[in-house]
Amino acid sequence: MKRNKNRPPITLLPMALWTTVFVAVPLVYVLGLSFMKKAATWGVVAEFSLDSYKNLLNPVYLKVFAQSFWVAILTTVFALLIGYPFAYFTAKLPKKHRSLVLMLMLVPFWTNSLVRIYGWMILLRSQGVINGLLMQFGVIDKPLKLLYTFGAVLVGMVYALLPFMVLAIYNSVCKVDWSLVEASRDLGAGRAKAFFTVTLPLTMPGVMAGCVLVFIPSVGLFFISDLLGGAKTMLLGNLIKNELLSAKNWPMGAALSIAMMAVTLLVIRLYQHFSRDQNLEGLL
Amino acid sequence: MKNSKKRLARLLCAAMAAAMVLAGCNSSGGNSSSSSAGQGGEEQVLNIYTWADYFPADIVEEFTSTTGIKVNYSTFESNEEMLMKLEAAKGGQYDLILASDYIIETAIQKELVGKLDTQQIPNFQNINPAFQSKYYDPTNEYTVPYAAGIPLIIYNPELVDFEIKGFEDLWNPQLADSIVVMDDARNVIGLTLKSMGYSLNETDEAVLGQAKEKLMALKPNIRALDYSTPYNLMISGETAVGYMFTSQIITALNENPDLKVVYPEEGLGFGIDSCFVPSDAPHKENAYKFLDFILDGERSAHISEETMYINCNSAATPFIKEQALVIPDEMIEGAEFMMNVGEADELYQQIWTEFKMS
Amino acid sequence: MRKKRTFLPETYVVLMLLLMYLPIFVVVAYSFNDTKLFHWAGFTFSWYQKLFHNQTIINAFFNSLKLAVLSSGLAAILGTMGAVGMAGRTFFGKGALEGLSTVPIMIPEIILGMAYLSFFSLLQVPFGMLTLVAAHTTFCVPYIFINVKASLQSLDPALGEAALDLGASRRRVFFDITAPLIFPSILSGSLLAFAMSMDDVVISFFVTGPETATLPLQVYSMLKMGVTPEINALCTVMLGTVFLLVAGARLFQSARKAKKGR
Repeated sequence: MKRNKNRPPITLLPMALWTTVFVAVPLVYVLGLSFMKKAATWGVVAEFSLDSYKNLLNPVYLKVFAQSFWVAILTTVFALLIGYPFAYFTAKLPKKHRSLVLMLMLVPFWTNSLVRIYGWMILLRSQGVINGLLMQFGVIDKPLKLLYTFGAVLVGMVYALLPFMVLAIYNSVCKVDWSLVEASRDLGAGRAKAFFTVTLPLTMPGVMAGCVLVFIPSVGLFFISDLLGGAKTMLLGNLIKNELLSAKNWPMGAALSIAMMAVTLLVIRLYQHFSRDQNLEGLL
Repeated sequence: MKNSKKRLARLLCAAMAAAMVLAGCNSSGGNSSSSSAGQGGEEQVLNIYTWADYFPADIVEEFTSTTGIKVNYSTFESNEEMLMKLEAAKGGQYDLILASDYIIETAIQKELVGKLDTQQIPNFQNINPAFQSKYYDPTNEYTVPYAAGIPLIIYNPELVDFEIKGFEDLWNPQLADSIVVMDDARNVIGLTLKSMGYSLNETDEAVLGQAKEKLMALKPNIRALDYSTPYNLMISGETAVGYMFTSQIITALNENPDLKVVYPEEGLGFGIDSCFVPSDAPHKENAYKFLDFILDGERSAHISEETMYINCNSAATPFIKEQALVIPDEMIEGAEFMMNVGEADELYQQIWTEFKMS
Repeated sequence: MRKKRTFLPETYVVLMLLLMYLPIFVVVAYSFNDTKLFHWAGFTFSWYQKLFHNQTIINAFFNSLKLAVLSSGLAAILGTMGAVGMAGRTFFGKGALEGLSTVPIMIPEIILGMAYLSFFSLLQVPFGMLTLVAAHTTFCVPYIFINVKASLQSLDPALGEAALDLGASRRRVFFDITAPLIFPSILSGSLLAFAMSMDDVVISFFVTGPETATLPLQVYSMLKMGVTPEINALCTVMLGTVFLLVAGARLFQSARKAKKGR
């Protein structure tokens, strides 16, 4: 190999520049903001203060954090449980059907996500389609309260983020060298054993990538909880929005975001540690 | 096969290059269009900023077809969002904004609102003085009132076994998991304060602390919080009781006339949404033309029937066919404006967060 | 593998797809519903009529389309160049750059939006298509970057090295070997980015100007005000269009294959 592996190539320049201007600068700004003081009515005073970080320890805020991460974890777990078999089976379909299934999965996501959540609202209402069917078949005699529950929120979250999981896993299943799996079978491993000792580890990068891609947005998503959960609880996204718009406390909003980023990073590091998957580093 | 893939890859690169060029063209194109204004009167454009559908689509279309002025109708979700955008645009870019009373007060204080040239709005005289000279614009220099609203209680007698008379009844344990209220700190804490005999605009920490205690007890009765479409929950029977704005009450009543409206005995809140022209609006004259257009009595009446808010225009009265919701005079007299509470805003938000997390 | 054939995988895939389409069916059905409300009140085409006469929605749609094409295209170039440039190298700041370029999808959109609002306001850039493209490109880059990077990591480096040893220029190696192999990941990343851009509400809200209302903003606002049937009609039209495009592309592909096979 002739090329110097330790020098950044010129092809990197556009992305590096773009990222610096549109990611690094705004981030530094947010960080700076979090150390400033709130002005009496609106805006900030350029004066160093740790008030916002001290406020973070308020039990209500901690509760919001816990709630948001709990929702995100559950969403990720369910998306993985549902998405893995889907991606795996799809990848093993004949080539012709594979792209069809992927396309069918992606098409709805080209329409508006809010509208799809409204679709769920119509389905889950007390006089909605699901309750109607259940009553028709005599399974229940009084409409169930499905909408405005925690379960409804989870359904909506998993539904909205599932494609990220499926795509990531699908990509890595496609890359699996099946001769390895066959070899393990030839050597006497059962189906299950071959799957857990060969296939699953081989697709781990996709699983990890999928989890990260689902987990991260689900921490910040709030409109689903507002629509399907009846806005009865507050997630980090709501809280930050409230701090910015209603309480007009920009430093507090910034501090909350910094804390949220920190916790997100920590969780991903933990994942990485336990999976011993260095490839994930790329996602950080 | 391999060849076609290669070709595809090249095609993609070419497409990307084209996109880049387009992006460049676009930015310069944008500049030229905005600089073409100025000579020979204003550009035939009007940039309106308000909630979706608040100016009925047919009115906007009629305006364009009669004057030839193209309307760009952009929307916001909340007054606070509007103020933030207007501040970032330094009172420019937008020509006509329709928002609520308390936020207009702040905007005027921040010098983001321009004084109206009423000479250019002959129909300005049509405005019903009852909706003028309010706290946010005591001398009527900045605003044109567009619609007024009062939040009221509505309930479904089929699902509620007792008569609801006021805010206090919302705490009745019989209403467990069956109330919808606005997803808004000020309005819901406000109703709690009213039920305790205090003002909507209370800033005293001790009083707000008591209100918080009381509010927490309301949580078990709340089925959902919905700011914009609570009538759907009343119509579908998802909830038995609702606290919502006038237009939403009428929407619910139109679908289910059996619902009962309650004027809370503890007193009412009151709000006026008004139009204003930002201080540095690029097309002020067009904004005046539009204001004059909508202040026409017949059109104003049509608007009220579309939006179902209380009309603020004297000239419109003869054209309004049905007085869908007549609010008792004595109740209006005691109605209280929701005003800015300054620094207490944060306390309100704090209480709200705790309420949601309880 | 071949001896026992169960239909479990196919059944699962089909069932899941049906479940994914459940709310879509509802949206399509309600676009023909003769009321603005939730209950069924009879069949009508009037929402489509209203939709095609609603200049605001139509303008917003074209704004969004333009925005999504520009930003996902720009992001595809930036992200692919970045991922290719980084592959197989270690240099000072690589980790930082990698981390930074994936940050936009790691922080709540509202923060980025708020930061851009102040940033562009500070630079006196008027809010409009330019600010929208800048913001959208930024959050589109990670989708392409992550995808391409993952696909590069799984490439067999021996392929490229062999070609280099055989005297191919690095450019040729890229276009003849790397590009075709990573092309699917560029495409899937770009498609995802396109969809995200077509669907973004929060960031768009902060950076849009009076003349560039985007479709999701319009939809969000209308849904919030309970004006859903026209939006349902619009989604039905969009869905139909996408289906037609996909079906067309597949027909085109199979026709070409048939021609080639001859």
